[in-house]
This record gives sequence, structure tokens and C-alpha cells, in this order.
Amino acid sequence: MRLSLPQPYEDLGHTADVGVRTRGATAEEALARLVLAFAALAAGGAAVAAEREERVAVEGGPGLAGSAVALLRELLYRLATEALVPAACEVLRVDAAGTEAVVAFGRRDPVLHAEGADLKAVTWHAARLEREGAGWVAQAVFDI
Amino acid sequence: MKLRRIEGDLWEIPREGRMRVPGRVYSVGPPAPDDPALQQVANVAHLPGILRFSLAMPDIHWGYGFPIGGVAAMDAEHGAVSPGGVGYDINCGVRVLTTALEAEDVRPRLHAVTAQLYRDIPTGVGAKSAIPRLSDDALDEVLAGGARWAVRRGFAAASDDAERCEEGGRLSGADPSAVSARARTRGADQLGTLGSGNHFLEVDRIAEVYDPVVAEAFGLVPGRVAIQIHTGSRGLGYQVCDEFVAEIAARRGEFGEDYATLPDPQLAAAPIASALGQRYLGAMQAAANFAWANRQVMTGLAVRALLHALAISERELGARVLYDVCHNVAKLEEHAVDGVVRRVLVHRKGATRCFGPGDPRVPAPYRAAGQPVLIPGDMGRYSYVLAGTARAMADTFGSSCHGAGRLMSRGEALRRGRGRSIARELAARGIEVIARGKKTLAEEMSEAYKDVAQVVAVMDGAGISRLVARLEPMGVIKG
Repeated sequence: MRLSLPQPYEDLGHTADVGVRTRGATAEEALARLVLAFAALAAGGAAVAAEREERVAVEGGPGLAGSAVALLRELLYRLATEALVPAACEVLRVDAAGTEAVVAFGRRDPVLHAEGADLKAVTWHAARLEREGAGWVAQAVFDI
Repeated sequence: MKLRRIEGDLWEIPREGRMRVPGRVYSVGPPAPDDPALQQVANVAHLPGILRFSLAMPDIHWGYGFPIGGVAAMDAEHGAVSPGGVGYDINCGVRVLTTALEAEDVRPRLHAVTAQLYRDIPTGVGAKSAIPRLSDDALDEVLAGGARWAVRRGFAAASDDAERCEEGGRLSGADPSAVSARARTRGADQLGTLGSGNHFLEVDRIAEVYDPVVAEAFGLVPGRVAIQIHTGSRGLGYQVCDEFVAEIAARRGEFGEDYATLPDPQLAAAPIASALGQRYLGAMQAAANFAWANRQVMTGLAVRALLHALAISERELGARVLYDVCHNVAKLEEHAVDGVVRRVLVHRKGATRCFGPGDPRVPAPYRAAGQPVLIPGDMGRYSYVLAGTARAMADTFGSSCHGAGRLMSRGEALRRGRGRSIARELAARGIEVIARGKKTLAEEMSEAYKDVAQVVAVMDGAGISRLVARLEPMGVIKG
């Protein structure tokens, strides 16, 4: 399922950094929302105009949470070096070996996204991608 | 979380389960048992080779893996190194410059000074291009040379700046070849930049001296201007940490059950003696050198900005580096453990080295007094200079606190800041602040932090570091 900004996410209230939690009917949906929560933080909640679409595949693990962290690490590197911010995301596959997603990227605009957070790293602390009740939950803490 | 008071502001988390040592926490008031940072102190106690205690300083708060304010010393031969125990911003640290300027002479031109510093030192998200982008060869020289690389290129207050830094502004075990292409890409155009978050550059007034003899040795004169710089290794350090945490997490099964079963994946650790552990230490030390070069380039840019804004000579400015400390690092040091001098790897994650009087590792001008310990507060109140003690060498592997410590999450700070102009509030108190974003000011407002006066009072009361002087902000630059 392809999802676009904005998507719902919860703030974990982490003291020093920023933690977010998302939910979905499937692991893929929860992870796509986590990608877009990352984008919303980077863009300060402002709109992101998609410029190009790309298939992003990364090796992951340990576990599903490790694969979620791996995808976010790759996207953070692109944000840091090319100012690319996801505007939409469809997670095609996520398992303990890795994940594959189609991501529509826009550019971080220094004016429009001036209130965006300077996300510097994806931590492994409290990272989750797991079943909870009838659905799935994804969670990550970003160093800022 | 079980806690018992040892004495004064020092509390113990008793050893249980697979903890190898107890936790010891210096605390402003009794610790809240449900504070997630205390669980992190207990988690760190699971690391192989940890000696005596998993320690936390009074600015402790919830981090990832290690708590912020955490200290852990590992046996150098049989212990573990954990990149998360250093943190992403490798060698994030603080530098203080003293000047011959009287604060009241500068105050009428404070706006010009602050604005010039803001123009000359790139700040904010993805700040870059303070100096031309470094070639790969030049970056190798920075990664090996640290502060000295920048001093040699004229970015300095004085020719002996590097000698007035912890470790002489350079860790000799740096291995530039262990720093990846991705880390180089993130850092190559960021040397001399402040960045964002809690990083800052301040024009301070030396407001009060508590120990005149030590203050004189440190060059701190009441009423004079000091410059304070807080930043680290920028994107390069973040990428180094990111890659090694991932690699070690993926290979954790190779090092045995103790490594495979650590209670938080962010604690991912490798034996210090392993090839992977050694490669991380080489890369981490190279990133630490990048951070020292970063603060050194900023020193040169700040000196030039002050000369320009005030139209004065270098002699009139009289800028000197007081000291430069790193508070996110792991370093091989010798410490007495149960009466025996041992080589240990001390992880300081949000903690400052504070070696005591007479220690040969302290620069000669300060050796009789003890190492200068630079403790920034928040942008609206004050910061402190302290001195290291013999007690710290006995109790905390020569470590002290590193700052105020956050009290509120950034989201909570933003909610409390809604409808307020933090810049106007600070201006009403005589503090000129320039920031890239209004959101940063709300996230970094004073109420978001513990009162650093209480934090340093705990360290002073416990005899870990002694109060020397208080600095108060006049001009603040935030990312």
C-alpha cells in the first residue's frame, strides 16, 4: 500500500532526542508510516513535493526491527547528503533479511522546511517492528 | 528500580541478574525510581569487562543504550568497547576562550559582535562551507592531526592552542583509513560549522570567581569576556558511529553469549582486542580528531569575527584557549583499580574527564590546580568552570558531569513555548540571541534543562570537581 505525507504518528516523549511510534494493519504499512514520520520530522510537518521515485533495497536484521532501522539509516544518509525527504512510501517487503521499498523523494527546502528537525542518526534503542494486538507497531528513536 | 543511598547525593543500584557490577548514580535530589535512565545505568553494568561500577553523573537523563551522563571503564585487555557508549556525536565537546575584553566595554556593541559571529560561523541544519570543501587527502590530514591541523593553517587564538586541549587536541591512535567513504562525504564540507540542536557559541561574562587562586591559573578574571563553543564531529562522527553500531549488532553472535545477550541493541559491543573493536577505535579516534579540528577552525573564525566587529588588534583582544574538553568519547587511560594501576578504556557518554592536581596528563600551566572542567548550562542562565580532583581519580575514573541535562522532551518544551517569544524574553534580561529557527529556541529554553548550578553543586559537594568560576551569557548563537 502506497502512503503519502501526512500520516499519523505518536511522539514517545524521549528526553534528549525524538522517538516516534506508528501503527498499521501489516508490518509493511506500519513501516511505511514510520518512514513518513521520519519525513514529517525532517520537514517540520510541512508538505514535501515529490520529484522522483526510487526503489530502495537494504540488507537488514537482526530481526524485523533491525530491518526497519536499516531502511531508516539509508534514508537518513540521503537526507544528510542530498537533502532528500520522502514524500510517499510503499514498503514492498520487510523480513529479517532486509527490506525493499519504493520511495518518492522531494527536496528539503531551507525556507519551507526551516522548522524541520536536524535528524542525525537512527538509534537501535527501543526500535520495534512487531505485532501488537490485531495490528503492527513500528518505533524508532532518532538522535538530533 | 531498587536504589539505596551510599552517602550524600550518591546512590547505588544493587547488582542483580546478569549485572557484572553495581550502578552508582550522583543525583540532584533522590532519583525517581521509574526514570528510564536508571534502567540504562543497570543495562551498562552488563557489558563484559566493566570495572567497579556503572556510573552516572548528576546530569543523567534518558539516552539510548547508555544514559546521557554515563561513565563505564572497561578492562583494556578483556573488556568491551561499545560505540553507543561514546555516542553518535563523537568528541562532542566544549571549548572556552578567555579574552582581555571588559564585558561592559563590549555590551554597547554586543549586537554587532553576535551578528558577526553568526555571519562567519555556519549554523543550523546541514551547516557547511565555513572553509572550502576538503579533498580526501586533506581530510586524512585532519583525521590524523586534529586541532593541530587547523592551528598550522592559521585558525587559532594563539600558537599553543592545541597544547591547551585535552590530549593536546589529537588522539594518536586515529586510523583515517577506517573512516568510510560515506562518513567522509558527510563531513568533508562541515569543518568549522556549529550545527544544530544543543550546540551553541556564546559570548559570556565571567560573572563570579569562587577560587581566586585557581581562577588566576586558568586566566579567568571577573568582569571579562569569555567565548564558549559547544559542538562536535558533525555528520562525519555520526556516520562513523552509525556504521559501527550496525556492523557490531550484525556480528554480535561472534563474540559469545555475553555479547549476544546485552539488554539493549544500542549497547552493541565488541571485544576491545578484536579486529572489529580495534577498527572502531581507530575510526572513533579519527572522528574525535575531526571534532577538535572543527572547534579549532571555529576558534580562528570567532577570533577574526571579534577583531572585525570591534575593530581592535589581536593584542587588545587577548584571546587564549583556556581549555577544550570532550564529553562523548572512549579513551585508553591508566587508573588505580583496587590499589592496582590498570589500563582501562573509559567510556564517557555525556561526561567530562576531570583529572586531579599533579596529573602529568594535565597541561603544565594547570597541573597544580587540576584539569579545567568546562560545564555549560542553558542559554538563559549560566555555565561553570570547575577543576578536577584526586577524589575523582579514586571514585569516578577521573570523570565529572558534562552539562545541565535535559529535564523536558523537545515536544514538551515546544508545548510550553507556544505563544512565547523566547528571544524577547532573553533580550529583556540583556541576552542577545540569534538562532536559525524559532523552534530551536523553544526546544532549548532554560526550563527544558535542569539548573546546572544544582548539578555542579552535587559534583562539588561530592569532591569530584571543585567550583572555580561562573560564566553568564551575553550573546548566544544557536543552530
